[in-house]
Amino acid sequence: MKRYISMFLLLIVCFILQTTLFQYLKIASVIPNLILVVTAISGLMYGRRLGMFTGVMCGLLVDLLYASVIGLNIMFYMIIGYANGSANKLYFKEDYMIPFAAIAASDLIYGSLYYICNFLLRGRLHFFFYFRSVMIPEMIYTLLIGIFIYLFVKWLDRWIDPPVEVPLKTKKSFEE
Amino acid sequence: MRKRTKITIDPKYILIFVAVICIIMIVVSFRFEEKMTPVRSAVGSVVTPMQRGVNAIGTKISDQMEYVTTVKKLVKENNKLQKELDEMSVENKLLQQDKYELQNFRELYDLDEQYNGYPKVAARVISSNPDNWFNTFTIDKGSDDGIAVDMNVMAGDGLVGIVTKVSKSYAVVRSIIDDDSNIYGTFLKTDDSCIVSGNLQLMNEGVIEVSGVSNKAQVEDGYEVVTSQISDKYLPGILIGYAKDMQMDSSNLTQTGHLTPAADFSGLDMVLVITEVKNSKELKEMLE
Repeated sequence: MKRYISMFLLLIVCFILQTTLFQYLKIASVIPNLILVVTAISGLMYGRRLGMFTGVMCGLLVDLLYASVIGLNIMFYMIIGYANGSANKLYFKEDYMIPFAAIAASDLIYGSLYYICNFLLRGRLHFFFYFRSVMIPEMIYTLLIGIFIYLFVKWLDRWIDPPVEVPLKTKKSFEE
Repeated sequence: MRKRTKITIDPKYILIFVAVICIIMIVVSFRFEEKMTPVRSAVGSVVTPMQRGVNAIGTKISDQMEYVTTVKKLVKENNKLQKELDEMSVENKLLQQDKYELQNFRELYDLDEQYNGYPKVAARVISSNPDNWFNTFTIDKGSDDGIAVDMNVMAGDGLVGIVTKVSKSYAVVRSIIDDDSNIYGTFLKTDDSCIVSGNLQLMNEGVIEVSGVSNKAQVEDGYEVVTSQISDKYLPGILIGYAKDMQMDSSNLTQTGHLTPAADFSGLDMVLVITEVKNSKELKEMLE
């Protein structure tokens, strides 16, 4: 439960930063997709359920406030949360490669899904243009910011569930 | 130890279940858009005040950054502008004389002054679309300040967009450079109609698309394009931008080209909302 609440609060903070502060910090005229990072990380660290929960919340926020149709973004973010949750088995705390690869892959998948549903279906066929000028810059920028969010979530995780010290068996037998 | 919940559903099924709900919601929200407004404004009234606060910080940071990076540029620009100002003030005097004359003529012909006559409300841009694909933004005035859907939005002297969603304290504006935007326009000099549509691909070059210009039209670069009389949502005579590289289509029936928007979209901060909605109901009734 604590994890759900903490992820929800982190998500709100990221959403607000993304829609306001980062609009002024555009690089190559793209903004990083922070809420996608939160979705990917929560899925990867805590499994499919929490990934899906965060994804649905992200999608709801985006759809209710900005999109013209409700449901599309919910589905995208939920799928990404679920996919990252499935990769939960690969995750362990000391490894840094897998979270970053997951964030990058998630952003590309999100971009492709978005392109297919909102652009390809309206007859905008230049996929490589959009790939080069929106998806790749967004991925790189998202990854850069994502590193910090990941470190923050890791710290948050330790703070909420401090690791319990398990005394070694040898020590126990020694005391006995 | 934490208790385990007894009933556990495989997340796979939850995924499928929520996906089905999403598809239903897409259809429902597409069909009954008005019914969703209370839900949207409930969420909006929680999030927008926070956005407004954080946005103030963002403006400060960008101001600071601009201050540092552009001092050199400003000195150069200042010299240039000073020269321009001298030329302009001479020109201005001439124009003022012309204007006086024009006013007399207008009175004679009983013409209304163009968009000086539209009532306007100033609003601040508080947040923008969270993704990089579309160009919509939120302003801090809503239905409480008399904003309604389909009101035109300007910045400086150019058209910026149109209000698409209104809540109590905020409104969402779709800009003309948005990939979804289509406007009926007219060339001011030649009275040829055209369609101005936003395009993400062209926007990287700072232009949008103009299409559907008649093949007989004598249009040159730099001609002003304004909103057309026949548009049913945009008030007539608002400057959209300037035409550029017009070309004959391969079909030889129409011409297409690019358009440089008159409004500056890079640092949109304050906008003007025209609090008058084009009433196309009467027109529709007449046509029927």
